[in-house]
Amino acid sequence: MIIDSPLNQWILDTYWLWPVLEIVHFFGLSLLLGGLIIIDLRLMGYFRSLNLETINNLVPLVMCGFSLNLVTGILFFIGDPMRYSVNIGFQIKMGLVILAGLNTLFYSWKIKPVLANSSVSSDTPISVKIVGLISLLAWTGVLVLGRLIPYVGTG
Amino acid sequence: MFVWLETTPIAQLVALSLWAYPALLSLHIIGLAIVVGIFSMRDLRLLGIAHGVEPTAFISLGKLAWIGFTINALSGILLFTSQATIFITSIPFLLKISFITVGMVLAVIIQARLSNLLVDDGYINSVDRTTRFLAAISMSLWIGAIIAGRLIAYF
Repeated sequence: MIIDSPLNQWILDTYWLWPVLEIVHFFGLSLLLGGLIIIDLRLMGYFRSLNLETINNLVPLVMCGFSLNLVTGILFFIGDPMRYSVNIGFQIKMGLVILAGLNTLFYSWKIKPVLANSSVSSDTPISVKIVGLISLLAWTGVLVLGRLIPYVGTG
Repeated sequence: MFVWLETTPIAQLVALSLWAYPALLSLHIIGLAIVVGIFSMRDLRLLGIAHGVEPTAFISLGKLAWIGFTINALSGILLFTSQATIFITSIPFLLKISFITVGMVLAVIIQARLSNLLVDDGYINSVDRTTRFLAAISMSLWIGAIIAGRLIAYF
């Protein structure tokens, strides 16, 4: 269905597109991880001099990075679906992206309202620390597995 | 010298071991996310994006960026040894190293200016023109480093 579609052909035929997509994907991950490292470490109780509320202003940059990588990622997949769909590294990476997404939803629904009542420069409850840790570990896993896609086999 | 470097036991390990090269690449992308991530957040904030974040928040985060830089200097040197003679003649590689060097020098200058902001200024959210200009150069250098780094594989 994807193979031989016009988009699939265009991605394969345009010699400069793949490196450009890779470059955008790398810049996107920098925005995504850059913001999240700061927010997650603060949620875990590090860098307490940072104001919990104001660093939330980095979230739009994180979402911008995620959007860049969603779009470029989908184009990679359309360009070479048979390579990615069967790759165990890619499959686990997607699983971790979903885990990170669910963790973020949990944070928005359950944790953020609790934090709104607490002091901005104080330590965080253990539940908040765990949410931050899961986020950092999941995204680190996403980075590593993405890098390992060329080196691992089919799943 | 670079021919000799490739024959050292550590270079041989990186080049021939099944896991060493992908493991180093994994470390290298984690370091990239930390360095370019933190500096992107800082530079974009100094340029006026996410202006709810205090610029001085990035003073303490500078240490974190240096941890990322150390991870990447070490993993980068090890990756370099395995194909030293190829890397040293690669234009994108030489550009990447130049961008990173200037980017780190600028980072020291920008961090110092942020510290001065904290001491001098009652109103710490104002960013002077010179600092904004340096942030624009810095952001361009890190994007340039990503572009050049990706292109090493293509040229």
